[in-house]
Amino acid sequence: MVQNHRREDHETGGENKEKRPKFFINDHVDILIEILERLDGRSLCVAASVCRLWCTIARNDSLWENLCFRHVSPPPSSVRSVVLALGGYKRLYTGCVRPVRSRLGRVRRASWARDEVQLSLSLFCVDYYERLGGSNSNGRLVEKSSPSSLMFLCKPVNV
Amino acid sequence: MLRYDSTSSSAGSSSGSLSSSSSSSKPPQQDIDGLLAGAGYKVRSSELRQVAQRLERLETAMGNSPADFSQLASDAILYNPSDLVCWVDSLLTEFAEPPPTCSSDFIVDPVNNQTVVNSAWTTAEPHTPQVHQNITYDEQQSLDNQLTVVTAMEEDSGIRLVHMLMTCAECVQSGDLSLATSLIGDMQGLLTHVNTVCGIGKVAGHFIDALSRRIFQGMGGGSVNGGSAFENEILHHHFYEACPYLKFAHFTANQAILEAFDGHDCVHVVDFNLMHGLQWPALIQALALRPGGPPLLRLTGIGPPSPDGRDSLREIGLRLAELARSVNVRFAFRGVAASRLEDVKPWMLQVNPKEAVAVNSIMQLHRLLGSEQTRNSPIDTVLSWIRGLNPKIMTVVEQEANHNQPGFLDRFTEALYYYSTMFDSLEACRVQPEKALAEIYIQREIGNVVSCEGSARVERHEPLAKWRRRLSGAGFRALHLGSNAFKQASMLLTLFSAEGYSVEENEGCLSLGWHSRPLIAASAWQAVPAWDNHMSSS
Repeated sequence: MVQNHRREDHETGGENKEKRPKFFINDHVDILIEILERLDGRSLCVAASVCRLWCTIARNDSLWENLCFRHVSPPPSSVRSVVLALGGYKRLYTGCVRPVRSRLGRVRRASWARDEVQLSLSLFCVDYYERLGGSNSNGRLVEKSSPSSLMFLCKPVNV
Repeated sequence: MLRYDSTSSSAGSSSGSLSSSSSSSKPPQQDIDGLLAGAGYKVRSSELRQVAQRLERLETAMGNSPADFSQLASDAILYNPSDLVCWVDSLLTEFAEPPPTCSSDFIVDPVNNQTVVNSAWTTAEPHTPQVHQNITYDEQQSLDNQLTVVTAMEEDSGIRLVHMLMTCAECVQSGDLSLATSLIGDMQGLLTHVNTVCGIGKVAGHFIDALSRRIFQGMGGGSVNGGSAFENEILHHHFYEACPYLKFAHFTANQAILEAFDGHDCVHVVDFNLMHGLQWPALIQALALRPGGPPLLRLTGIGPPSPDGRDSLREIGLRLAELARSVNVRFAFRGVAASRLEDVKPWMLQVNPKEAVAVNSIMQLHRLLGSEQTRNSPIDTVLSWIRGLNPKIMTVVEQEANHNQPGFLDRFTEALYYYSTMFDSLEACRVQPEKALAEIYIQREIGNVVSCEGSARVERHEPLAKWRRRLSGAGFRALHLGSNAFKQASMLLTLFSAEGYSVEENEGCLSLGWHSRPLIAASAWQAVPAWDNHMSSS
């Protein structure tokens, strides 16, 4: 849920100096980040459209990292470098983790949470590899409409 | 969706004559069903049951002939839908379902039409419904050409096709080529009455093609398997995307290899058919993240030599190397170009005795089988030098089918059922052109199984039980694939939107099937130590 914040009227700011200070969330970026860290993926995408500051923060990959590993015990530190090399957490989440979770949601078992992320990571890696082919090959084999191993999942929405 | 086209202008005069002739009898208006009238449909309460039944038949007829449906939408002359009775009857006629009418309906209906037209359409449009009894002979002929056979007949045609296919195969086996030829002609005629977009019609079409190729072109059948390596790679890639069989194979094999490599710092994977190397990114990533850090990974990829100067093996190797570099895995690649697996000699692989070796064969071992069981057949040679490498693990994935029987009819029957099931499972795939190209891939397999013989027939699939016997006899023992592999396979399948896939565990081997018919089986093997019988130098 996105927390509402009220914009104070700045014209009266000078007069109201003796009154109690107004609260403006954008002045407290650390609190803002704490809040955004707890959002779900869709809300995070919506939050990115609120203003430029929120957009910048929402693009921060660590927020998406939290999303990926939200219900899972923290992964070893080596995971981060691998994911960043393969395209980043936001891409991992929107391209793999979210569709995998929603597809498996019907038959979800509690023990699968970690395996879901691992499977998503593997699929993400294959996708990265196929994208590599697009840039490196002479274009005969892989084009824009080339088969992607993630096509059998939902099409991700790129915010 | 309904359109009144220019032909309705010709109906103007005819409906005029209708109105004058049948103005005498008017139905009582209070009989019109109130609820439907609120929605704009004028149907008499007494006719409701008839209309419902006809609508059901219309739905069935439409569902069975999707190809004609779109034609209907653009070509047909359509009628006033407010008069449901007449509308349903007219559409049923176009689907070759004669509506059970009695003549009294027609006398009354035009009047209904007329009153409906006058009351429902207040604008000055000159639209008048053309009652189908006024269709001229020529128009009826052209409608006939668009007709499809109704459902009951279509089911019969499907069953007849299967019977004829069996009979034809029997003729081929017994050498009665003249009868076989005439059967081919009959079947091709029957195909025009069956929906070839999906179901038995599509599979039957491929088998008819393969049979006719066998009869008319002899059993070299080179063109079937002769697609260029580049084409084969493309088809293989689309088959990978369209259905889960190859993904299942890759992920299961990778899981087994990962577990076998646990604790080793130098590992070497030998891939019997590299293609685009789609199996290896996931293994590289898993090795990168394994506790204790990644090992030094060497990959030797075997593949057919590429014409026109391209070194496709090297290109794939470079891509994999770039991926490995991104995730900090020390990686070395070697490509071995060989057009047949039996041409590969173990020294080409340059295996280091200190490293842990994994041999990966995805649907390659069956190509080494011949129809005769000789002492030094290619399969024995290859299995013995694999054994000589002393691999930590050998992953074998094969089609779960018995397509290597000596009798042609048995082989044909088995292939018909196997590939029908596989095509069924492919129906669920919704991405094009992956689906179409995947079908061509399967079609080539069918062609090879049915129309080729001798060394040209490479698709010699054998079921898991036979592979077990063969591999145990060659000095290998089975490794159980484990619950992680099973869990991963189940998750992978759940991601595919089709509901019919199933994973089964069978004495440590996993098989993936469609509606409990296993289609592909994965197993893992290890060389039995201190086995002396087959240690021959190659």
